[in-house]
Amino acid sequence: MNAAATGPQAQGRRWVAADGIHIDVRGLPPPGPLVAILELVESIADATPVIVHHERDPQMLYPELAEIGWAAQRIDGDPGEFRLKLVRAA
Amino acid sequence: MTRPGIAFLGGAASRLLPASIPFRFFGAAAVYHLAAWIALLAGARDVPRFAGGLGWPLAALHLVTLGVLVMTAIGASLQLLPIATRRPVGSHRWPAAIWWLYTPGVAAVALGMGLPAPSLLGAGAVAVCVALIGYGALLARNLAGASGMPVVIAHGSAALGALVVVLVTAISLAGAYLGVDLLGRGMALALHGTFAAYGFMGLLALGLSYILVPMFALAAAPDERQARISLALAVAALLLAAAAAAGFAPRPLRIAAVGAGAGAVVLHWRLMHIALRTGMRRNPGRSVRLMQIAWALLAASLAAGLGLAMDAPFGGMSALFGVLLIAGWLLTFVLGVLQRIVPFLASMHRAPGMRLPPTPSSLTAERPLAIHFVCHLAALALLAAAIVAGSPWFAAAGALSGAAGAIAFGSFLATVRRRMSAPGGTAVYPDARAG
Repeated sequence: MNAAATGPQAQGRRWVAADGIHIDVRGLPPPGPLVAILELVESIADATPVIVHHERDPQMLYPELAEIGWAAQRIDGDPGEFRLKLVRAA
Repeated sequence: MTRPGIAFLGGAASRLLPASIPFRFFGAAAVYHLAAWIALLAGARDVPRFAGGLGWPLAALHLVTLGVLVMTAIGASLQLLPIATRRPVGSHRWPAAIWWLYTPGVAAVALGMGLPAPSLLGAGAVAVCVALIGYGALLARNLAGASGMPVVIAHGSAALGALVVVLVTAISLAGAYLGVDLLGRGMALALHGTFAAYGFMGLLALGLSYILVPMFALAAAPDERQARISLALAVAALLLAAAAAAGFAPRPLRIAAVGAGAGAVVLHWRLMHIALRTGMRRNPGRSVRLMQIAWALLAASLAAGLGLAMDAPFGGMSALFGVLLIAGWLLTFVLGVLQRIVPFLASMHRAPGMRLPPTPSSLTAERPLAIHFVCHLAALALLAAAIVAGSPWFAAAGALSGAAGAIAFGSFLATVRRRMSAPGGTAVYPDARAG
């Protein structure tokens, strides 16, 4: 299911699947991916995971996630894709 | 089988330079920051009407420009640009070799100016120039393959062009003290000051702001077209200033250069204001406040530059222009950026044994930064008052206040370095592919 991006900074394509809310930030110029991912994460009130479809390892993201109590783990993705699963830290 | 957690940031770590590389540049910048204020204190008597020439005020000026501004720019750009450009620096030996050549070179230049000792100044200038050529080559190679950030690449390329002018004129100026005057002191001095402060350092600062400020505020990337117009105006201003330095209608061209520069600054300001106003993080903190003060002082430096171009009847105009431009705009901006990115970079370099990055807020040290904020701004105000009142005592007080701020800033850096090296970390988030 596709979900339209909302909010003043929202960018990237979002959709909801069984494993969580997906966001595809490939092709966005820096720091667009960082902003789009954080905007989505901060809008989630429960423990729903976020699956990020990226074209590279988003190094700047990890300190920002740690600051708001989230963590990332790399999961398998398509060739040329860097896919992350973001979860709220316990 | 990959060990849980270790593989998680494996890709990230591989594109990061070892922490020792950026932090050796930041550490040297902190030392030279303090040295600059001490040199200014030594030359306080000459500060209010300083207009060039060997001595401790000139040494203080270059301890700030070479020792703090360029030192920080090298460390930060070699660490940040590869992340944004998606291209690694390549060999880690080159940045380390640049540091080993550049750091003593800056000390030799400063001592050569302060004592004065022209042969020491000449030797230091050669070391600094060779190191900066190496840095320029690394930067050019990284920018050449960059994608996704054309505005930053354009600013970086223009800054590199300015660096060439800075190096040629630096050799000419240093050579003049040894009896070899290549370009003529007047022209070389005008080109050197303009292209170093507004060109190389200024364009790097404006260009990196297009990534850093939206990142700090968590805002969308600024409008690329307006950013390009701002850059075009800045480059036009530099070219006009160069033509004026070469003797073509100096006064009208200098005034036109200030006008073009003001246009560039207004556009840049507007884009930064939009990023800060629309970002998710509405209170970006003390670091951004310093950057905002720096932008205001950038505009003030242009006003002082206009006063110089129009031969304003005030004997301290050159000194005031220098304080506004170097200490007010560039130093304030760089210290604002540094206090924000250092804990961030430290967080990206996890300590051994940590499986999650520590939060930047847990690595930073707020109290020293608060002290630095007050001392730095007091130093700027006292220096401005010293020039207006023609008072060496105010200049000395400003230098002491700046030195206290530099000690506080150095304490902040040392605290971050110590905290990032402390082993620890409890939570485990394994690479899901490893299990």
